[in-house]
Amino acid sequence: MSRFIVRRFLSVIPTLFIIVTLSFFLIRLAPGGPFSREKKVPPEILQNLMKKYHMDEPLLNQYFRYVGNVLQFDLGPSFKYKDQTVNELIGTAFPVSATLGFMSLAVALILGVSVGILSALKQNKWPDYLAMSVAVLGISIPLFVIGPVLMLVFALVLKWLPTSGWVNSRAGWATVILPVTTLMFPYFAYIARLSRSSIIEVIRSDYVRTAKAKGLKDSVVIVKHVLKGALLPVVTFLGPAFSGIVIGSVVVERIFVIPGIANIFVQAAFNRDYTLIMGDLIVYSLILISANFIVDILYGLLDPRISYK
Amino acid sequence: MPVLNKKNDNAVNEFNQYVKPVSLWADAWKRLRRNQMAVIGMWVVGIYLLITFGAGILPFYSYTDQELLHANLPPSFRPSGVVALEKLETRQVELVDALANTGREDLKRDLDRVTAEIAQVKLEVNTNPIHKRVYIMGTDYLGRDMLARTIYGGQISLMIGIVGTVTAGLIGILLGALGGYLGGWVDNLIGRFVDIMYSLPYMLVVIIIMSMIKDSTNATVLGLPINIIILFFAIALVSWLTMSRVVRGQIISLKNSEFVEAARSMGAGSGRIIFRHLLPNTMGIIIVYSSLSFPSFIMNESFLSFLGLGVSAPYASWGTLVAEGVQGMQLYPWRLLVPALSMTIFLFAMNFLGDGLRDALDPQSKNRT
Repeated sequence: MSRFIVRRFLSVIPTLFIIVTLSFFLIRLAPGGPFSREKKVPPEILQNLMKKYHMDEPLLNQYFRYVGNVLQFDLGPSFKYKDQTVNELIGTAFPVSATLGFMSLAVALILGVSVGILSALKQNKWPDYLAMSVAVLGISIPLFVIGPVLMLVFALVLKWLPTSGWVNSRAGWATVILPVTTLMFPYFAYIARLSRSSIIEVIRSDYVRTAKAKGLKDSVVIVKHVLKGALLPVVTFLGPAFSGIVIGSVVVERIFVIPGIANIFVQAAFNRDYTLIMGDLIVYSLILISANFIVDILYGLLDPRISYK
Repeated sequence: MPVLNKKNDNAVNEFNQYVKPVSLWADAWKRLRRNQMAVIGMWVVGIYLLITFGAGILPFYSYTDQELLHANLPPSFRPSGVVALEKLETRQVELVDALANTGREDLKRDLDRVTAEIAQVKLEVNTNPIHKRVYIMGTDYLGRDMLARTIYGGQISLMIGIVGTVTAGLIGILLGALGGYLGGWVDNLIGRFVDIMYSLPYMLVVIIIMSMIKDSTNATVLGLPINIIILFFAIALVSWLTMSRVVRGQIISLKNSEFVEAARSMGAGSGRIIFRHLLPNTMGIIIVYSSLSFPSFIMNESFLSFLGLGVSAPYASWGTLVAEGVQGMQLYPWRLLVPALSMTIFLFAMNFLGDGLRDALDPQSKNRT
């Protein structure tokens, strides 16, 4: 197991390296640059700017300089926000995105599994039908449709919740409700369907019948016997769910005007803010890769049949 | 064989009856037809395809025609001239009230404009054929018919889905079959490549690419602007990853079975075994997987278009229409709801069809949810 963890950990390095290299050259090869604006900058000033950001050197030199800096956890200065470094920009935005992401994942997981249990126990009765219809809805409706519609209904028509902003605004934690609901909905739906079907399968198995025959209480059987076996597919889904939530946050942060890293990312891509895009991409890749890493380890711990050699 | 003639040979029993053979496909079709939701889904998808790709010969209004007098009209079955007149008159009353209360200068200019527009519409309402149009889905902020825009937007969205599915099929089947059948270094190479592509935050890279090329060029290829082509390409590039894994797994589980051994013992080559014996047996799963991934391509495209990075004007896709609708949703909710609902209904139907196909073609499926 520990050998597996080390090997898995080492395999992260080439992946990150490929991501950095690929996106570095991809961004530089595109026409235009951070200093090409509507109003032309005089050539002398442009030259000075290029010099300041080392953009006048050959591309390979720039690449090695960048990789060297990244290895020292320095993501460089922002091209657009002149007095801030990428580290500072991402540092202030990251907690916001992390809160949003983790809350969505937690709500999706807790709600999804509970609805899954309920549905499986009341199979083919009305709570089951109701829950599964909602789940199909959740899977079919894209995030950018759910978000605006929820905002229209609950914020603009009923005026129960604020339309946008984040916890530090006047409305406080109420601002979190709509974005989290939007972001978690598809994953809640998928987790509910997944856990329902796997619980139904496990309930029919012999060891659950034995547990019931022993006279154990239903609640004990569900929690101790059924869930342990039935949650494996849900754990496997956590990896894709996490990356889905990370990508989805791009849209959700945009709709609800949340000052997170996804908003910065899209802005930076439009502004050609080279260092900021790269920094954001590296942070995202790290999040995704470590999420998959954790899920792999978790899976091994939960399922003794899987041996990592 | 006359030797074995016995006295009850003429009796009817289950062994001497001719039973009509049932092919896998006929069997699957029967199972699919029994699934009501899947049949409804199939009809809905069929109707969508018919309408979107037959839009050119169907009597819809042009999706580019702008008629500013008809801007932001609500859905209605009455002629647009009447609806527009009503809307302008309520606006006039509102403005008169507001003027009486506040006396702001800018409102006066608004009132003058509205009065002039009312006069113009009144003059033309019975003569100009434009005012006879009926917008059953309302109009957008430039007075374009929402119905036509949603249908033509669907054309691009569906095309992306089809392009993604077809490339996923071609590349995924080929590489998956090769890797699975040949094994060894070929399989390793393909497998590692797929692994690396999987670990890339791909949508983020696509966001970067699309924002870089967004306004750098106006070139067109095959009559479509270059950024739509690049969007097609970007979505197709990763579409095949999962397909190749699915096919590889199937091929590996089949390649040691008796019928393959029989074929090989009769001298069939690798190509023949893969294309004539193995692939037809994996076709069910390929179809199921394609139909389930079709909606996800459409969602990816709309996601980019929603961010303003995909399809740009005058072209539209469901994503751009929803993004446009969000801007005025409090006053003109139909501008959001019409494209959003049409898209949701299609994805809904596609999901049911996909689930039905899976139950029909792959009854012992392990990935059932």
